[in-house]
Amino acid sequence: MSGMVHGDTRNPLTELRRGVLEHCVLAVVRDRESYAFDIVRALASAGELVTSEGTIYPLLSRLRRDHLVTTTWRESDAGPPRRYYLITDEGRRALDAFAGDWTRFRDAVDALLGGGARRGDPDGR
Amino acid sequence: MDGDELVRDYMGRLEAASWPLPPGRRTELAGEVREHIETALAEAGRRDPVAVHNVLERLGRPEEIVATEAEGDPAPPSWVAARSGELTVATRSWGAVEIAAILLLTVGAIALPLFGPAIGLVLVWLSTRWTTRDKLVATLIVVVIFLLPIILLYGLGAQVTSG
Repeated sequence: MSGMVHGDTRNPLTELRRGVLEHCVLAVVRDRESYAFDIVRALASAGELVTSEGTIYPLLSRLRRDHLVTTTWRESDAGPPRRYYLITDEGRRALDAFAGDWTRFRDAVDALLGGGARRGDPDGR
Repeated sequence: MDGDELVRDYMGRLEAASWPLPPGRRTELAGEVREHIETALAEAGRRDPVAVHNVLERLGRPEEIVATEAEGDPAPPSWVAARSGELTVATRSWGAVEIAAILLLTVGAIALPLFGPAIGLVLVWLSTRWTTRDKLVATLIVVVIFLLPIILLYGLGAQVTSG
């Protein structure tokens, strides 16, 4: 499990995860109110996104603080009440902006990674 | 170690690692992690050491979770998070605002009478690193120093007239 690799701050995937995870959480709670464990599971099942599930909690705390999500405590069938998360209008704006940025970013990287060979070497060699 | 001991050990490590966090957030984080463990174990339907170990491994190291608290801040100080005043910092480090404020309140009082300390106080209140209590104390000191000459002159005048 790659999450067990410590001190991997220079790993590009680690850096990418760190950069996009917040907005992935926003995407999970965009259409449906979810509690933290559901959010973690949704991210985990998407693959590649979460290596250490516990790091979601600091992230959720930050999203609350920045008013990008609202929370509601609801009774659960078993155990104590659970905190449910839902995106705010501000969060929605942040997510929309990110979606645009991400598309451009992804296309730029894709073009460099794959397109270079197809376009041929500019020096004509 | 049985499953419950493993959980206690993990929570102990989390508590130890999270000392720099503000007390409120520290308790909250511990609650969130504990709830996560309980939900995951309930989902697994067993809490033997192997099941617990799997859940804890997926959670990640407590130190890693605590370190994530500090990420994503616009200008992270050494490592602790301080944003929008909700998280107060466990560090005593000062930024440019704090140093400028101190200079204006001290040297500024001589170089720029009235204006120096006034701007200094504005900076004090703009600081994101000092607590409201720090800011109140700074304001009180400035006000007292401002009033001191008046009080002294008044006292001296009273003495001269009585003597």
